[in-house]
Amino acid sequence: MSLSSQRGRIARASAFAAAASLALVGCTTTAGSGGEDAGPIAKEDIVLVASVINTANPYFTANIEGAEALAAELDLPLEIVDSENSSQTEISKIQAILAQGKKVVMFVNTVASSDTPTIVDAVTRAGGYVSIWWNKPDEFEPWDQSDNFVAFQKHPGIESGRCNAQAIGDALGGEGNVIMLPGVADSTTSQTRVVGFKAELEENYPGITILEEQPSNWDPVLANQNARDMIAKYGDEIDAVWSADDGMQLGALQAFEDAGLLEQVKFASDGLYPDTVELMKEGYGNNAIVGETFHRGYMASAIGLYTAYLAATGEIDPSELPNEKRTSFFDIKCVTPDNLDEYAQYDEPGAAAAFVKELIENGPWDTEPATLVGGGGPEVLD
Amino acid sequence: MAQRNPTLDRPVAIDTTAIRVREQGIERRARFRSISEPLGLLIALVVLLIVFSLLNDRFLTIGNAQNILTQASIPLIIAVGATLVILLGSIDLSVEGVMGAAGMTWILLTANSRGGEGLGAWAWVIALGVALLFGLANGLIFTGLKVPSFIVTLGMWYVGLGFATILYGRDLFPRLEDAALKGWTSQLTLGLPNAFWLALLVIGIGLAVVRYTRVGRVALAIGNSETIARAAGLPAFRVKVAVFAIAAVLSGLGGILATIQLDIGSPLVGSGLLFIVIPAVVIGGTSLGGGRGGILRTVLGVFLLTVLNNGLILSGVDTSWQSAVSGVILVAAIVFAAWSHRDRLGVAK
Repeated sequence: MSLSSQRGRIARASAFAAAASLALVGCTTTAGSGGEDAGPIAKEDIVLVASVINTANPYFTANIEGAEALAAELDLPLEIVDSENSSQTEISKIQAILAQGKKVVMFVNTVASSDTPTIVDAVTRAGGYVSIWWNKPDEFEPWDQSDNFVAFQKHPGIESGRCNAQAIGDALGGEGNVIMLPGVADSTTSQTRVVGFKAELEENYPGITILEEQPSNWDPVLANQNARDMIAKYGDEIDAVWSADDGMQLGALQAFEDAGLLEQVKFASDGLYPDTVELMKEGYGNNAIVGETFHRGYMASAIGLYTAYLAATGEIDPSELPNEKRTSFFDIKCVTPDNLDEYAQYDEPGAAAAFVKELIENGPWDTEPATLVGGGGPEVLD
Repeated sequence: MAQRNPTLDRPVAIDTTAIRVREQGIERRARFRSISEPLGLLIALVVLLIVFSLLNDRFLTIGNAQNILTQASIPLIIAVGATLVILLGSIDLSVEGVMGAAGMTWILLTANSRGGEGLGAWAWVIALGVALLFGLANGLIFTGLKVPSFIVTLGMWYVGLGFATILYGRDLFPRLEDAALKGWTSQLTLGLPNAFWLALLVIGIGLAVVRYTRVGRVALAIGNSETIARAAGLPAFRVKVAVFAIAAVLSGLGGILATIQLDIGSPLVGSGLLFIVIPAVVIGGTSLGGGRGGILRTVLGVFLLTVLNNGLILSGVDTSWQSAVSGVILVAAIVFAAWSHRDRLGVAK
């Protein structure tokens, strides 16, 4: 037999094996159906699962940190899913975990909104419980699905955008030009932040003009390039830069520093990454960063996992909960250089463990600084 | 027996004029093609430059030219390696992984916000050494175990990303703290960005390797026909490994430069570059089948893509349209530039 035909056979055999194992996953998942009627799960059968978009971003590593803190506090095993920025990877890894037949309590920071129905369906059929964070289709509400889709949770984007717009508007004295770096264009998280930012400028800072929006896919490298192009295009007409998250802002800051424009431009963004805290403290670039919103990845994952855990153990009954506890918005704080110090406590070593202790004491909706502030449907401009 | 034709009995002077004319025609066309192919691309580039400068008067400024040169530098450096690999008839998909691995290694060994004094020049040596190991692994597995380069380097892409992610750990982004290096890539020397000078150096060395060294000539021979190259006793094994090693070191260098440019270390520092570099090589006219093409054409390809991205932003094309418009212009430019050799592209399968 020639080498190439042998290779062909091996390829066909592996393709068959792959198809067969996929089918097996499907069967196993289906075999676990009927989870809704199975009643509470005994604590010792539970495996916690935290699924993040990638592991190379401080926000997502903080998600993992929160899941680890909760797993330690509840003394439960934890598995981490790294989606490697791909919906396909995310879904196949989650299905592989479900196929092991464990009772999962899951937190998923979805790669794309459209992943949510597939994940919810797979978890439901396997009798697990899931909280989704940040992204889902607007019309896909937990109360229309099953108790296994315990909750959809996020921090409000409109509030985040408004908060950043106030910081920039005040720093510029109500006059000037701003460029915007949204995240992935079709991400609801980015879209709501953009809507809030624009609405606040329109209502309260009419003297500020938006020169341009360049979606930068949550990618610091792309944000850096786009910022360079916009510097070439507008030069010193740019007075302020808004980014939909701190990772992109770090990329943009560097572009303005390289162009020698940093000292005359103001920046605002979402997330107050610890890197940003350092820059704000040292007054980087003539106090270039004027506004941030505070929330932490470890709080999101701990809240999400703990809500799903309570449903799994029967301590809460999702179908009895009001809608705002199924689709929930948790508070974010507006941060300026003046009140920055108030948030230092949340980045100290052991902060995640301390938050988890309070979370278990106060429940998922009443733990400072991330208390429930709204929800019950898609985010709308007020 | 029929009477023999008397004219065939004596030697005749065969009229070869027609053959010679034909040969000259072929030669002329070949010469014309070798000039016209890059010329087509060059014209496409010039047309883009003219259109964009009409749309925005900031496009054709020295500031934006320097910006374009800075942005083209890293893809240029990596594309030199990618061209060599593609000339072999192989492909190297590990670019972004090797960039992440070398970039993370470098920043963690240089003065950065996570602490440590930094090893100075040794950080460069070690980071490029890491890249070299990836390249050797690519080359040895591909050549020694006869695994297609597509598969080996695809795997190595993820190994590189994984390696970088492990180095990154769970800590903050490591920020560059070496004041001399901050912003180095876009600082100007004699009017050109430093990174671009480095790219010119790499291009020069790459051209010399292809023209004047055994590695370059053997690589071309392998791309044309590996069977013939081997039969001629050329060291195919060693040259293939060497080419993958060179490509990986250049990806590693690109990773370090991208890290300096961004000022922070991230495993994803190379994201998106593979899809600038490989199209740039192919747009330049280097055949994916191997054996035909060259580094200078790739340079044109890189500039075409960089100018396109920059120009679309500067000319104010709506962001939701940018990606589609960019694709349409690109295809149009290629059709125009490659019209004369569309029958020989070797990729139109």
